[in-house]
Amino acid sequence: MSLLEVRALSAGYGPVEVLHGIDLDVDHGEMVVILGANGAGKTTTMRAVSGMIGRSGSVTFDGVDITRTNAEKLVGMGIAHVPQGRGTFPDLTVMDNLRVGAYARSGGIAADIDRWFAVFPRLAERRDQRAGSLSGGEQQMLAIARALMSHPKLLLCDEPSLGLAPLITQEVFEVLKKLNADEGLSVLLVEQNANLALKVAQRVYLLETGTVVASGSAAQIASDDAIRKAYLGA
Amino acid sequence: MLRIDEGSTRHWLLRLLGFAVITFIVVWVPTQMSSSRIGQFTDAFILMIAAMSLNLVLGFTGQISIGHSAFFGIGGYTAAILIKDHGWSPGYTFYAAAVVAFVVGCVVALPALRIRGIYLALVTLAVAVLFPTLVRWKKLAWLTDGSKGMDSVRYEDVPVWPILGELKGREGRAVFMFWLGLIVVVATYLVCRGIVKSRFGRALVAIRDNETAAAVMGVNLTTTKVLVFGVSAALCALGGVLSTLKSGVITPDGQYVTLLGSIVFLLVMIVGGAGTLWGPIIGGLVYVWLDNTTRDIGTSDSGILGALFGWADQSPATLILGLVLVVIMFAAPYGLVGLAKRLGRKVVVIVPRPVGSSTPR
Ligand SMILES: Nc1ncnc2c1ncn2[C@@H]1O[C@H](COP(=O)(O)OP(=O)(O)O)[C@@H](O)[C@H]1O
Ligand SMILES: [Mg+2]
Repeated sequence: MSLLEVRALSAGYGPVEVLHGIDLDVDHGEMVVILGANGAGKTTTMRAVSGMIGRSGSVTFDGVDITRTNAEKLVGMGIAHVPQGRGTFPDLTVMDNLRVGAYARSGGIAADIDRWFAVFPRLAERRDQRAGSLSGGEQQMLAIARALMSHPKLLLCDEPSLGLAPLITQEVFEVLKKLNADEGLSVLLVEQNANLALKVAQRVYLLETGTVVASGSAAQIASDDAIRKAYLGA
Repeated sequence: MLRIDEGSTRHWLLRLLGFAVITFIVVWVPTQMSSSRIGQFTDAFILMIAAMSLNLVLGFTGQISIGHSAFFGIGGYTAAILIKDHGWSPGYTFYAAAVVAFVVGCVVALPALRIRGIYLALVTLAVAVLFPTLVRWKKLAWLTDGSKGMDSVRYEDVPVWPILGELKGREGRAVFMFWLGLIVVVATYLVCRGIVKSRFGRALVAIRDNETAAAVMGVNLTTTKVLVFGVSAALCALGGVLSTLKSGVITPDGQYVTLLGSIVFLLVMIVGGAGTLWGPIIGGLVYVWLDNTTRDIGTSDSGILGALFGWADQSPATLILGLVLVVIMFAAPYGLVGLAKRLGRKVVVIVPRPVGSSTPR
């Protein structure tokens, strides 16, 4: 059984339905990417999975039906969400941002902070700085480290490359890849930069106006001519 | 410019100096000043408490409330009713008022916090408007004495505290209220500080900075907001008790019980520095000082100020403070405390501890 099983997921905002019945799986230790144009519903999918918005259909996580579980509970169960636009807390220090990341649990927090400081040395240097004073890349690193503080089994990462210089984007993706390979962390990634995403992810879903129009292994998708034309701009 | 390492001996000396100055002022006021001057400080204490309580909700959590005058009034009325009708000793009414206001605060917050921004402002506004009306309501007159309010709500005899010596008459009462007020201010400050520096406090700032991100970190928005609203209401009620014990009266249109009170609390908090622990304290002092120095302006028809404010039959303090507020918003968006910090940094810099020394070696 997969770690995350999404079946016939519908979700939206108030009267507007954005997702019209999506099926999606993330296996243990897998890195899956959702590709799609602006407004396709990628962010909405992430929000629906992490329980931030109402949803119908069924969502199963680690064998447990979580369709009616709210966001705060899901953190404790092992779903961490790095929202689009990072969502770091600008007035809290780097340290305090990480502490809030561990809000759903207790014990060993200092050790965890040290652990992620080792992975993100630039955050360590800025530990007492307000998060608002960090660069975009540093904030993205902080957002990821903060999410990892909750000991997730599944990391939802929404467009980490948004607004970052290519070199920094690369760095962020290296880290994600390493976490996936070395720690066995399952990742559900949303990305506009398809070429980059296809290099790190194992499987791909293509989203178009709230519907999954294609899915397959990264290699399959990358070699499908029609898809290449439509989505990869080549 | 002076550079001082955080936690160094000099840093501690600097803190000690600050503490000594405050202690000196605090002892000097009630022993050397006239009782009316002492009373003005107590007025400042009352405002500090209310503004500190509002600061928890608005400054730290980012939830606007224009309803705090109602919690202030609830405190005052709880004290008045318990003392007059049930023969309570005034000191104990602080606890009762805090409990009552906590419960009311939570109940108000439950529906109010499902909404945000301008709508939350409107709901709390309704609470502020509703409270005096409710107090005046005929069917509640058995409890609140309706529009005429309640009087002689005070210590019959000021309790004897050995450390203060013997306190007699009007002067003695003023001195006693000063110390009582100071205790409540310090207690309120410590509660706020404890909250802000705790895990719960980090959650508050997280909610203020980014509500949705806070939720996906596992912060329960409703519980957290309701709790902080309740605690804030309880603290604000302490200010109400103090105010009632000081003046001995409370009426539905008394000071800070009406909507105007909420506005004053807002002014005090913002002028001092929203989201800072010391902001409401500085704001309270500045407001009362302005209120008293401007009170006589316009009573004599001479001079520029007379020409400017002579038409007003009330103290233009609020108007002047409003103007000061506008100026401060431009000059010091983080209030007087923010400004002081910025200017202070040009004189003394506290250098944070270097990386890797967060735990003592
Ligand atoms: N908070 C919101 N309220 C109402 N509609 C929204 C909201 N967020 C997104 N939408 C709408 O949902 C659709 C999908 O948006 P989104 O999931 O953000 O797309 P993507 O992340 O793929 O760019 C868009 O049409 C967008 O206008
Ligand atoms: Mg998006």
